[in-house]
Amino acid sequence: MNETNRFEPRIIAYVCNWCTYLGADLAGTNRLEYPANVRIIRFPCTGRIDFNLIVKAFEAGADAVLVSGCHPGDCHYTAGNYHARRRWMLFRQLLDTLGIDLNRIHFTWISAAEGRKWAQVVTGITEQTRQMGPYTAYREIARASA
Amino acid sequence: MIVDQLRELCARLLSEGTAQVVIGYGQAAPGKPAYPVFIRRAEDADQLVWNDQCMTNLAATLKRREVKALGKPAVIVKGCDERALIMLAKESQIVRANIYVIGVECNGAGRPAMAKCASCDVHVPRWTDTVIRETESQAAAVRTTPSSARYADLEAFMRKTPEARLAFWRAEFGRCVKCYACRQVCPLCYCERCIADKNRPCVIDTSATPKGNFAWHITRAFHLAARCAGCDECARACPAHIDLRLLNLALAAAAEDHFGWRAGMDPEAEPPAGAYSLKDKEDFIG
Amino acid sequence: MSEIITHAELRRLMDDWIARGGEVIGPAAVKPDLVQYARLESAGLMLSGYIHPANSIKEFFFPRSEILYRYKFTGKKIELSDVVNDPVKPMLIMGARPCDASMLPILDRVFNWDYKDNFYDKRRDAATVVTMACTEHDDACFCTSVGCGPAAEQGSDALLIRLGEDAFEVRCLTGKGRALFQGKTQPGERTAEIPPGPPLKFDADFVRKFTRDNFDNPIWGELTLRCAGCAACAYTCPTCHCFDIVDEGNAYGGARVKNWDCCQFSMFTQHASGHNPRSAQGQRQRQRLSHKFAIYPDKFGEILCTGCGNCGRICPVGLGVLTVLEEISNATPSLESVEPV
Repeated sequence: MNETNRFEPRIIAYVCNWCTYLGADLAGTNRLEYPANVRIIRFPCTGRIDFNLIVKAFEAGADAVLVSGCHPGDCHYTAGNYHARRRWMLFRQLLDTLGIDLNRIHFTWISAAEGRKWAQVVTGITEQTRQMGPYTAYREIARASA
Repeated sequence: MIVDQLRELCARLLSEGTAQVVIGYGQAAPGKPAYPVFIRRAEDADQLVWNDQCMTNLAATLKRREVKALGKPAVIVKGCDERALIMLAKESQIVRANIYVIGVECNGAGRPAMAKCASCDVHVPRWTDTVIRETESQAAAVRTTPSSARYADLEAFMRKTPEARLAFWRAEFGRCVKCYACRQVCPLCYCERCIADKNRPCVIDTSATPKGNFAWHITRAFHLAARCAGCDECARACPAHIDLRLLNLALAAAAEDHFGWRAGMDPEAEPPAGAYSLKDKEDFIG
Repeated sequence: MSEIITHAELRRLMDDWIARGGEVIGPAAVKPDLVQYARLESAGLMLSGYIHPANSIKEFFFPRSEILYRYKFTGKKIELSDVVNDPVKPMLIMGARPCDASMLPILDRVFNWDYKDNFYDKRRDAATVVTMACTEHDDACFCTSVGCGPAAEQGSDALLIRLGEDAFEVRCLTGKGRALFQGKTQPGERTAEIPPGPPLKFDADFVRKFTRDNFDNPIWGELTLRCAGCAACAYTCPTCHCFDIVDEGNAYGGARVKNWDCCQFSMFTQHASGHNPRSAQGQRQRQRLSHKFAIYPDKFGEILCTGCGNCGRICPVGLGVLTVLEEISNATPSLESVEPV
């Protein structure tokens, strides 16, 4: 595939305001380069990221979803990320049972100091998603009318 | 006979004023599925039945405004129904002391028995004010030890490829008409206003399209994660026979795997939903 | 003299319809334990030996979810695009029960009495409905109590009646029916027996009067106390036709959609103020039965129920139209004893 028509994945990143968003900001102020395939949506806390938002992202045509927040122990609200972690432990099992591709959903902890990690994670997910190709399975479901 | 003891107890509770209403099973004709009856006068106690058609989980009636208005209830539960009752108490939806719980030993409901009965290990309710048991000779004839593993059906399903699983659910959810019978009969779906009925913002499309149906069934299943007591009433109520049991099993298996938790098995244990542990597994987080 | 078609010829007729680009709908075993009216890929998938499928043919005329038009935002402008003229395929409904086809004249009135619903009408025009007379009935059936029957002809273009093991007698009832069976039948000497329907189970006139005179009767709440408040009855009912209109979309555009709705939901009559005129399930059940036996008949002259019995078969707590009306009839043995409240 040449440069002009190669598949550019659309990646939705749900990030917390206090750690990962600042980490992404740091990557920017440090002039670190990472793929422009990621669309960042900022939340107060990973604890606020409703599981339906992952489904919504796939409905809307995302090829991969990233959920990222503060490292354990660093939550601005003390325990939001612990609640989120437990939610994703169960939710992944439900998605797997439904046959939704777990390789398209990524979870990371990225602190405000980890601009480099943010750039690496986004680069890695973009590359992996590019290899896998567009995620059409769920998009088709979302677009089909009764 | 269990039914005689039930009727006698019902009449006594009502005449003594221990309960204002006894929620039990009635039946239109032998062999027909039993349904909830709400006995308020001792002389009506003979409307109660007890047989293998008593599948309904009566704990689900407690959430309804019309039932709450009847006064202090006595409710008949099987071992599996009792698990829902325990969850309702854990989630502060009922006050245990304000309900008289009549447990009945059950050795399988439905004809043929419901899928859950094959792996049942709660034949005798344990958290009741009274428990009515089969006589030893009757029990010996029908008693079953779990004949299949709890998650056998799920494990078989998970052997399919992810693509085959998604195709399966597309066909299953394709029949969903959004009648919400699954929600209405669920003892633990007690929200005054369901997220499916909210439209600002509209998280779940009201349309019974593939998109709207996936969104609904994912939400229903996940809102019951580590809470579902496994009564399978949702699957039984579904007019389109959608295999909702599999989704509930998936989350029950995950909860047992991660937290050693089975909803409503132990009235003393703290539910994992809405809590956390520093030791929670995070091998999937980078 | 009668017209006769063999099973093989009937299957050929259906497969021809599919081959010509049409859709065939008939009862099928969609799961091992579930019979529903469904789109058939071939005639061989059609089932025989069912009493009543677990849905109705309603959804092929009045789908559970239907786009009315699409909208798109471009800057400050809104662009609308109609879908009402999108063509529909010729539809052959084969093996509908007479109690299902009977809902067609009923819905015809609802969707045409003042506003003409082109979405419904275009499907109606594209459809040929072949009914199959019932040879069996179950405890839930009560067609004869509401003026329908095992070989009722309302809404049907042609009626098939079983004739021995391998043939049907065909009674063409409309031009569409005659066109469908033109040249496919043989004349025969035998005529089919019209099987007996279920016995009379209640007096519909009494029910009509009762619902009119007993708006505030506590019996409604009493008899329906076990109702769980779902829409399984309404959504499997051939005649229930309530719908809601919603916009579904995002910042770029979306669609205005017509979806089934049901009077048994507490949200159905919830006002924005928070007031709910039907705040209890008994009131909602009264509404459903009153609509069927008094409100619709007052407006259109016919009962809004064909006695198919799906509500009773499907209700998770065994509470169908029949259950409630039988109990009302038992509780008030004669009209004179009914005291208006």
